[in-house]
Amino acid sequence: MTYSVQFGDLWPSIRVSLLSEQKYGALVNNFAAWDHVSAKLEQLSAKDFVNEAISHWELQSEGGQSAAPSPASWACSPNLRCFTFDRGDISRFPPARPGSLGVMEYYLMDAASLLPVLALGLQPGDIVLDLCAAPGGKTLALLQTGCCRNLAANDLSPSRIARLQKILHSYVPEEIRDGNQVRVTSWDGRKWGELEGDTYDRVLVDVPCTTDRHSLHEEENNIFKRSRKKERQILPVLQVQLLAAGLLATKPGGHVVYSTCSLSHLQNEYVVQGAIELLANQYSIQVQVEDLTHFRRVFMDTFCFFSSCQVGELVIPNLMANFGPMYFCKMRRLT
Amino acid sequence: MAAFSRQVLDWHRLIPLTWACMARQTLHLGEQRRTTASLLRKLTTASNGGVTEELSCVRSNNYVQEPECRRNLVQCLLEKQGTPVEQGSLELERVMSSLQDMGFSNAHINELLSVRRDASLQQLLDIISEFILLGLNPEPVCVVLKKSPQLLKLPIMQMRKRSSYLRKLGLGEGKLKRVLYCCPEIFTMRQQDINDTVRLLKEKCLFTVQQVTRILHSCPSVLREDLGQLEYKFQYAYFRMGIKHPDIVKSEYLQYSLTKIKQRHIYLERLGRYQTPDKKGQTQIPNPLLKDILRVSEAEFLARTACTSVEEFQVFKKLLAREEEESESSTSDDKRASLDGDEDEEDEEDNDEDDDDEDDDEAEDNDDDEDDDEEEQL
Repeated sequence: MTYSVQFGDLWPSIRVSLLSEQKYGALVNNFAAWDHVSAKLEQLSAKDFVNEAISHWELQSEGGQSAAPSPASWACSPNLRCFTFDRGDISRFPPARPGSLGVMEYYLMDAASLLPVLALGLQPGDIVLDLCAAPGGKTLALLQTGCCRNLAANDLSPSRIARLQKILHSYVPEEIRDGNQVRVTSWDGRKWGELEGDTYDRVLVDVPCTTDRHSLHEEENNIFKRSRKKERQILPVLQVQLLAAGLLATKPGGHVVYSTCSLSHLQNEYVVQGAIELLANQYSIQVQVEDLTHFRRVFMDTFCFFSSCQVGELVIPNLMANFGPMYFCKMRRLT
Repeated sequence: MAAFSRQVLDWHRLIPLTWACMARQTLHLGEQRRTTASLLRKLTTASNGGVTEELSCVRSNNYVQEPECRRNLVQCLLEKQGTPVEQGSLELERVMSSLQDMGFSNAHINELLSVRRDASLQQLLDIISEFILLGLNPEPVCVVLKKSPQLLKLPIMQMRKRSSYLRKLGLGEGKLKRVLYCCPEIFTMRQQDINDTVRLLKEKCLFTVQQVTRILHSCPSVLREDLGQLEYKFQYAYFRMGIKHPDIVKSEYLQYSLTKIKQRHIYLERLGRYQTPDKKGQTQIPNPLLKDILRVSEAEFLARTACTSVEEFQVFKKLLAREEEESESSTSDDKRASLDGDEDEEDEEDNDEDDDDEDDDEAEDNDDDEDDDEEEQL
């Protein structure tokens, strides 16, 4: 199955974007002087796309098509501020620097990476698990919401977890890091069902994937090389196991967001469907996919979405908005 | 009667002198014998019949006269003959009639006379004659000289030498028109520089002699190009795009700027619509024809060859310009710094990969034998 088959006429535009410089967003660090930082970023002619989307939230709700969407405060994680340049504007943000409070002012990331965190819809006091947390951008975003009573950040790779620690050091004040609010581990994510079953209000499963954007550039050790074919075939299996573990670790009634930075439906929808099936068959646990249509609509001005996902949403790169790829799907554990 | 004979005697002295001066002036140019003869005819017809015998037997005189005196003599002569007098109008008539013989219309001639500025009439005639001999028609000659009047300042010997060199290069027989329109300095530039370009095309790029002629004829701007740039442009076509010599020549590829070539080619390449042929010269997709890439307008290129929106290409051009700029000054450290906290699951060192080198990994993965459904291909 080739991407050109999967995407048809859209593929060339996606491909040229993947091979060209990607666009970044600046996630404002709420632990710094965030209003001052926001003003600085606005002066560069960048705009907070989260703010724009949320202000459109109520306006976009139309009757008829689907049930009225929950208010933004329910559906979107709060307190996230992320600036981007306009469509077609290829300006770059200056590198982040420490501010007056000693922590970095903003974090440069692919703006599309923020969408899974937004979609997870954190509420104040939530107990949160980031199952495959490294290198730590989404983990940082989870902390920015201010909603995490407890945050568990885990990744299998110790070296990558070290990077996550560095990020937390640069962005998050000591009192939050050193308390028991944040716990960082380097264990096998597949075991979480046994380790901490039925524990979490919100779980983010941002799995290892073929990282298509970077794989297209990298010559050596490229996941698409023939020699790594076995690895590629095993990947969806691993991904299903991780998502299943994340679902098992969720409280009944809790929410999970699964995300990847791959375009392949074999790593995306296929995995979601596989994990839901696995939980139903092996554990008799019901999991329901939550519709993100309204969510997608309010973010359509900033990102290009693929319209033919069976489940979940997929941000596809385009030269006008070179973010992504980013696939995300929201689920609710019913039982 | 005596007065009359004195008059005749005076004339007897005047006319040979006048003729001798003219002859000295014009005789050193072989081709002018014809005009000298016609000039002589004009003089004889204008004068009274009785003087003819004296004219036909020329005796060399040791008289030396100043040019102004000569002109005055002509003036006097003309006055006596009753024709209208203008400074050098005799020469003017001569030149005009020569031009008419070459096929120039009166309108052309007026134009030519107006551009010559301080070049002499003879100079004008000489230069124009060279162009005609090289196979140019009167109309293009006017256009060229109007556009580039500095050509009239060329010493005629240099002009002749250059003409013969250009003929050797195969640019005679009317092939010169396009070159002259685009690159008039082909006459004024150093022959060594033309030589260097020709040698580059022959020895480094390995074009045949006929191909070189064709290139000079269709892409005269190569004469102005820096040799290193020209060679790189050729290598880009041959190695990077996989275009062979005949197509490079036929498509007039070398006339386009490297910027435009790279913009359109790399765009198509990254879109997946152009592939560099492999060692066997094969590609997995049929590449678009060169003319559909370079010769068409940008709007048509985007609509028919690239098949993307205009705005995407505009952004791409900006991104590419920045990439080129940065790969030249290689500011990889700065790039790394600005990617602080890159979200993607990548080690930091990989973040500043140059996008210039489009390594097509899909070439490896489009397996002939492997039909695994799960295999991801790009």
